[in-house]
Amino acid sequence: MEGIKVYINGAEFEGRIGETVLELCRRNGIEIPTLCHDDRLKPYSSCFLCVVEIEGLRTLQPSCSTRISKDMKITTDSERIKKSRKTALELLLGNHYADCAAPCKLRCPAGVDVQGYIALIEKGLYSEAVGLIKEKNPLPAICGRVCVRPCEVACRRNLVDENGVGIDYLKRYTTDKDFESGNKFMPVAKPETGKKVCVIGAGPAGLTSAYYLSLEGHHVDIIESNPHGGGMLRYGIPEYRLPNDLIQKEIDSITELGTKIYYGKKFGKDLNYDHVKKNYDAMITTVGCQKGASMRVEDEDAEGVLSGIDYLRTMELTGKKFDFKGKKVATIGGGNTAMDCCRSALRCGASESYIIYRRTENEMPANPIEIHESKLEGVQYMFLTAPLKVNKDANGRLKSLRCIKMELGEPDKSGRRSPVPIKDSEFDIELDYILGAIGQKTDVDFLENINQNAEGEFKLNKYGDIDADPKTLQTGAKNIFAAGDAVTGAATLIEAIAQGRLAAKSCHQYLTGQAVVGECGEFVSKRDNFEEQDKKDYINEYYPQLREEMPVLPPEMRRNFNEVELGYSCDQAHNETARCLECGCEAFFTCDLKKYSTQYGIDQKRYGGSYNKYRVDYSHPFIEIDNNKCILCSRCVRVCKDLVGANALGLVNRGFDTFVAPALASSLKDSTCESCGMCIDTCPTGAINENKPFKPGPFVTEKIETICNYCSLGCGITLHHKGGYFIKAEGRKTPANPDGNICKYAKFGYKYLNDSSRITKPMIKKNGEWKEASYGEAYDLIVQKIKAVKPEENSFMAGGRLTNEELFLTSRLARQAVKTNNLSSFLYHGRECAMKYNWFANVPFEDLDKAGAIYFIGCEIDKDNAVLGFRINSLKQDKNIKLVNIHKADDSSMNRKCDCSAKVDSYYNLVKAMNYIVVKDNMVNRMFIDGNTEGFEEYKTDLLKADLSELIKKSGVTEEKVRKILGHYNEEQNAVIIFNEKNISSQTVKEIFNLALLTGKLGKTASGVIALKEKNNAQGIFDMGITCCLEDGVQANMKQAWGFEKSECKKSHGDIKNLFIFGEDPVGCSDKANDVSDMLKGISFKVVSDYFMTETAKLADVILPASFPIETGGSFSNTQKKIAVFEPAVTPKSDLFKDQLIVLMNKLGVSVSYKSNADILADAIKIMGDGICSCDDCKYEFEVTAEKCDRGNIRHGGDILVKMADDEFAEKLKK
Amino acid sequence: MKEGTDIMDKIKVVVGLGSCGVAAGANKVYHRLLEISSENKDLFELGKTSCIGMCYREPLVEITDHKGTFLYGDVDIKRIDEIYEKHIKGSTPVENYIVHSNVVKGDEQDFVDNQIKIVLRNCGMMDPESIEEYEARDGYKSIKKILKEGVTEDDVIKTVLDSGLRGRGGGGFPTGMKWKFARGYKSDEKYVICNADEGDPGAFMDRSVLEGDPHSVIEGMIIAAYAINATGGVIYCRAEYPLAVKRLNLALQQARDKGYLGNNILGKDGFNFDLYVKEGAGAFVCGEETALIASVEGKRGMPKKRPPFPAEAGLWAKPTNINNVETYANIPWIIFHGAAEYAKYGTEKSKGTKVFALAGKIRNSGLVEVPMGITLNDVIFKLGGGIKEGKKFKAVQMGGPSGGCIPAELGGTIIDYDSVNATGAIMGSGGMVVMDETTCMVDVAKFFLNFTQKESCGKCTFCRIGTKRMLEILNRISEGKGEEEDIEKLQELAAQIKDSSLCGLGQTAPNPVLTTLKYFRNEYEAHIKDKKCPAKACKELIIYEINDKCIGCGACARVCPTKAITGEKKQKHLIDQAKCIKCGACFDTCKFSSIDKN
Repeated sequence: MEGIKVYINGAEFEGRIGETVLELCRRNGIEIPTLCHDDRLKPYSSCFLCVVEIEGLRTLQPSCSTRISKDMKITTDSERIKKSRKTALELLLGNHYADCAAPCKLRCPAGVDVQGYIALIEKGLYSEAVGLIKEKNPLPAICGRVCVRPCEVACRRNLVDENGVGIDYLKRYTTDKDFESGNKFMPVAKPETGKKVCVIGAGPAGLTSAYYLSLEGHHVDIIESNPHGGGMLRYGIPEYRLPNDLIQKEIDSITELGTKIYYGKKFGKDLNYDHVKKNYDAMITTVGCQKGASMRVEDEDAEGVLSGIDYLRTMELTGKKFDFKGKKVATIGGGNTAMDCCRSALRCGASESYIIYRRTENEMPANPIEIHESKLEGVQYMFLTAPLKVNKDANGRLKSLRCIKMELGEPDKSGRRSPVPIKDSEFDIELDYILGAIGQKTDVDFLENINQNAEGEFKLNKYGDIDADPKTLQTGAKNIFAAGDAVTGAATLIEAIAQGRLAAKSCHQYLTGQAVVGECGEFVSKRDNFEEQDKKDYINEYYPQLREEMPVLPPEMRRNFNEVELGYSCDQAHNETARCLECGCEAFFTCDLKKYSTQYGIDQKRYGGSYNKYRVDYSHPFIEIDNNKCILCSRCVRVCKDLVGANALGLVNRGFDTFVAPALASSLKDSTCESCGMCIDTCPTGAINENKPFKPGPFVTEKIETICNYCSLGCGITLHHKGGYFIKAEGRKTPANPDGNICKYAKFGYKYLNDSSRITKPMIKKNGEWKEASYGEAYDLIVQKIKAVKPEENSFMAGGRLTNEELFLTSRLARQAVKTNNLSSFLYHGRECAMKYNWFANVPFEDLDKAGAIYFIGCEIDKDNAVLGFRINSLKQDKNIKLVNIHKADDSSMNRKCDCSAKVDSYYNLVKAMNYIVVKDNMVNRMFIDGNTEGFEEYKTDLLKADLSELIKKSGVTEEKVRKILGHYNEEQNAVIIFNEKNISSQTVKEIFNLALLTGKLGKTASGVIALKEKNNAQGIFDMGITCCLEDGVQANMKQAWGFEKSECKKSHGDIKNLFIFGEDPVGCSDKANDVSDMLKGISFKVVSDYFMTETAKLADVILPASFPIETGGSFSNTQKKIAVFEPAVTPKSDLFKDQLIVLMNKLGVSVSYKSNADILADAIKIMGDGICSCDDCKYEFEVTAEKCDRGNIRHGGDILVKMADDEFAEKLKK
Repeated sequence: MKEGTDIMDKIKVVVGLGSCGVAAGANKVYHRLLEISSENKDLFELGKTSCIGMCYREPLVEITDHKGTFLYGDVDIKRIDEIYEKHIKGSTPVENYIVHSNVVKGDEQDFVDNQIKIVLRNCGMMDPESIEEYEARDGYKSIKKILKEGVTEDDVIKTVLDSGLRGRGGGGFPTGMKWKFARGYKSDEKYVICNADEGDPGAFMDRSVLEGDPHSVIEGMIIAAYAINATGGVIYCRAEYPLAVKRLNLALQQARDKGYLGNNILGKDGFNFDLYVKEGAGAFVCGEETALIASVEGKRGMPKKRPPFPAEAGLWAKPTNINNVETYANIPWIIFHGAAEYAKYGTEKSKGTKVFALAGKIRNSGLVEVPMGITLNDVIFKLGGGIKEGKKFKAVQMGGPSGGCIPAELGGTIIDYDSVNATGAIMGSGGMVVMDETTCMVDVAKFFLNFTQKESCGKCTFCRIGTKRMLEILNRISEGKGEEEDIEKLQELAAQIKDSSLCGLGQTAPNPVLTTLKYFRNEYEAHIKDKKCPAKACKELIIYEINDKCIGCGACARVCPTKAITGEKKQKHLIDQAKCIKCGACFDTCKFSSIDKN
């Protein structure tokens, strides 16, 4: 095809005829943003993000729907375009009443992803939770004890039941668990850069910056003046709140990454900047606020008056506690240091411990829990009281304190009401000690030391703190950064951590020659940008659940420095995670709207105004709709209609009030929704999400690319997990599903991977009770049983869910080691010899676009093989392929997707009647028959013996209709019949093939028969020889390789002594469960391999744990005989089943060893051949049939996984 | 001849029963005449017709006798009885009531005589429910001529091209070109669609044509079908036009019965064509052709990107020609009289006539058909009779919500596509809303934007949210809460909405705001800076105050719904501004001009 020359941004490109501007640009790597476009759908053009300029056209054009033409001149990124895109985003976000991130995370100075780690704790993923916290905060165990918890203040749970989620307690819980595990979380640092950084001070800011610099591969030395690390954590916080050993543990976690701390060295005294400059590439000063602020009262120099932090520091430095026995101690101040002082005073024996505070309890900055605990412990409060003067005795020692009563006046600038003295209310209070806890000051005495040698000026600001750029924390000297209290003035731990990380980030940028810009902000949409959150919106939406209380030491046991808070129990922690409202959006990491909003630097409030507020619709068990986040791109509506054909979603209302809603139903559950979840995958925002039974996080996941193990199409899927807990499945483009589409089984059927009831150890039944056993015990028992009977008294059944490798090894075990030919699968039991050629005339799926008409016979493709259904549905939309549905179901949902339908009583009689008419009326394709088939005459003779009127009667449709269907089929050049084996008897299958032969519709492109199978590897059952019907060539191969002589199959169950059932649950999946279980009970020794305690497994004597495909890897053959190979991707929970089979063979005296799955498959192909029939010139055979109902009674493909999924769908989707 | 004489001898009385007439009470008059005629058989023949355009004088009754025709206006039961006694029985026309006549001069002589009627040639002149009357007025002669004389499709298209007819729906695209494109695409199925989804506020041209002359539209469509080889057609008509739908369906049946529709039309082998009426569901956007097609297909009425244009892939993705009612109604006349005759009227680039619906503060609100090229002032003053109540002409809004306001000082503008476009307004489908000094231009912009933002289909970001934001700004301004940067913000949003919307609705939605800003920016500024509405129309910005003329009669206090007015009898009263809701009841009640509205 001739290309079209076009110009994009001045450069020449060659386009294809019919191609859109967007397609051409994407093909050439020119990025154009779009929200409403989905490659699988026709262009729509609603978001107007993809606009471009086209020379000669006045308005901007949406590139997704603009087709290129010759010499078109396109501009993709002018200022006009950028402005338009920005406005489009701002308009969308002005009506996007939604939160990208939860307020807890946004309020946390360090930006710790609280919602994410709570979701991980819920799943027991403690190490992962710690890992997530440590992305922003390397001191979670410490923080979990002493943080001031702005997150909990911001928590929306407060709006439901007055108490935010116990975030800090959960953080403590998970870090304690992580330490206890003996295998604590350790991040992996990047390769060494050779750069060295000197950090001054081992307090929280210093430790934090060291941690993040180490992760980037830089070497960090910390200079610390004290004998221990932790700074104020250690020297300012008493041990009953924060034990020293815990501080050390967290410091260790940091130094284990390579950081060295040099204790007892004071910068500016023991070590000069000169030295730093010579030996390091950069420096970060984190010297903190070490000096207690003056109380500014007369005579505060009296003996017995000291600053609170000096009091605390002295005890820590000397290791000796003050002796306050019988003394009266007053602490001045209302912050957390004051709390530490007054509570420590009691612990030092004080008879009275007062808090003197000039405002009321409401204004106290200390944590409420601290105030509460202090009161329990006996601290007495003197509110609205201010110190005036210290009264000294003759020796200059404190005697008493003169105070004055205060009242609250007008609010000051900070909004707090200022205390005003009450006239003539002075009084004295007798005291032995006064602890001043009214603030701290930065003490920098190394300015000169630095400035003598530094490039640029290292300065202090007007408050006496270090002057650093708030965005980058870079000081006037480019290689010196500063962080923590020394920059901010006395602040909180979490702020110091945030600063430490920011300084490290900027320092890293500096070290690597990047522009020093600090943190690059990303756009977040906030509900608070629209309105203050109101209780009523939350009370009605969530159940109340009170906060779990922190277990504490009883007050009478606290006259010591033992830790007061004891930590949550496991149950408490689990309950507390359930209180999280999951305010942040599940699509946080995937949202395109957010991505572009960050990219275009948008302001959510710019086009603010009225906005729509919707309740989230959780009524569908798998799909939730949050219209607040919807941008009306209609991708969900269009996918549902044009691709899936379900048409379950629609747009309601007009203009600004438009929203997406289930079509003609109040809930998606009651609509024509097929629960495929395709709407979720196409949504560019978080408006349609999976309704998950667990907390979705969100968090960054690890991905596994594998093949779906439900039906026989073999679609590629990507499984998302964190620490082995699976949270999402998505489609992946493979030849079986080229658009990456998946169905409900793949989308929602992944949860078995998290099922904790899985069998992971061999089990042996002893006296009717299951006992876990070693593999050795199990193998010995099995070998003993096999050896005790004749070879042909052993029978092996293997299911269609096993990999080709597992099936082949089963065949080899049975034939070579056990020497039996009793091999089958319950899925095909009794009909495998008839069904094994079903793949033979398959029209490749990719040729279906050339079909003129498709006939479904007994094929509810939308339920059983939906992805192929999607493909056919979109072909119908595009190419108007005629679809005919021939069904037995009373109300086949396929009818609405097909052009016409026929409800029949018997497929067999219908097809045979058609064949009869074809032959009788001489409509046969004689040329085809003569050239390509054998056995026509015999078939004809037999067929014409039938009574047409009887066939018609049994078919359940009128002769006129039979003739009509036949007429259409016969006239259609490219007609394809699709049936599903599960609904069709083997005899019907043969008549369907006979029909295709009679009319000459086999073996041509887009003309033939497609057999769909129930299980992912049902084809593998035949290909790997799990059948007693073996081709001669295969038998010869087996004889040569294995010395295997074919014996007759045992027809009667009574002749079987040992039965091996691998990967099938015939009892649980059978219509006639009793018959099957009676049959099993009649067999003396049974071995079952499965994941779970299935109904079949319950009847076994030995259970062997089975392997998930993602554990064992290997290959599946899909219904078109295409082999898809996939890799093992997770650590197996048990010995791999394929290895179990190999060990058994070895124990039975057959030496077997394979290096890999590929090795096994290669052997399998050698033995089994690459196709059952490989001759080029062999002819199709007509087969004479007789009506026989051998549909089989196994449901769910015999697989417990399918059964579990089917049961879940049936129960949850019940209307 | 005898029959003819009989008819001539008998007096003919025709009542205008278009929607406008019916609304004014014409049914009562008609029934009174029925009663009279049943009592006095053979005295006169009673007929009905449709709107003649003089809606402001409805009900209208036309009496034709041997002296001539006499059109009576504002006819009610009392008048008809009088007219019956004096004119029908007494043969003396009641001159006081005559609005137009070919014998004496009626009040509305100018209104009729200044018009050129091509589209409206039959409206009000015949019974629209009678195909025979249509045929009698040269109806269906054009299609007969084409088929009888074997005029080729290309020649038909050439005639339409030569006539210079441009799409009367507002776009102004040459009709012949459109047909040529549709003809150029090969397909075994093609369609013609008549867009009768007239939705502009204040516009009723199409309704009058459909009610008054449905066959001319049908004939136009048959000719189009012939020209492009269409196999089927649809008239997409507003469901709010029940009379039009009824008459269309009746006319379609008559046309089928007479062989103008169906297979082998008028004996022409293989010329098979039929059409049906599809009622719209009330969405303005369905007047946009791609949305209209979606709606006909049973989908949500949402526009699609063009190209492909309907001529290539329209209804059911087949080549489709869409024109509006007025366009099709022109066609039979053009074919019958020839392209040159049509092209005699109008300007160089805009040929023929255009129908306008006059509404608003104009004296003669109704329907007029004028040749292209006359000035706005002529339409407003000569035909429209100027402004009501002698107020000052301020502006005229043309083109409905997609159009704009042309200020009085541009009243000399010639009516043709390009001249009107140059003002920032558009020709549109023919709505002309006239405004006087009491009209606030911010309010006008608000009115139209409110309409478009509500009627946005909700697909495109800019139209869906952008128009809403513009409206919010306008609301703010008219409430006195406007900010200095609002005008700039409006202009910025307007430009971007025009730039980035898929269909005409969005692309033109900001026009009313842009044109009012262009010509009346000072009014916006007065609202924003001075918190005043110069036209004294914006409620929130008005203050009612009682001046010294007050005699303390207390009438105002009695009508005040919020009891905001207090005062002693015979003393000057006072309005409590906190309580006042600015309803204006006091102002309207006061007989002493003692209430000031500022």
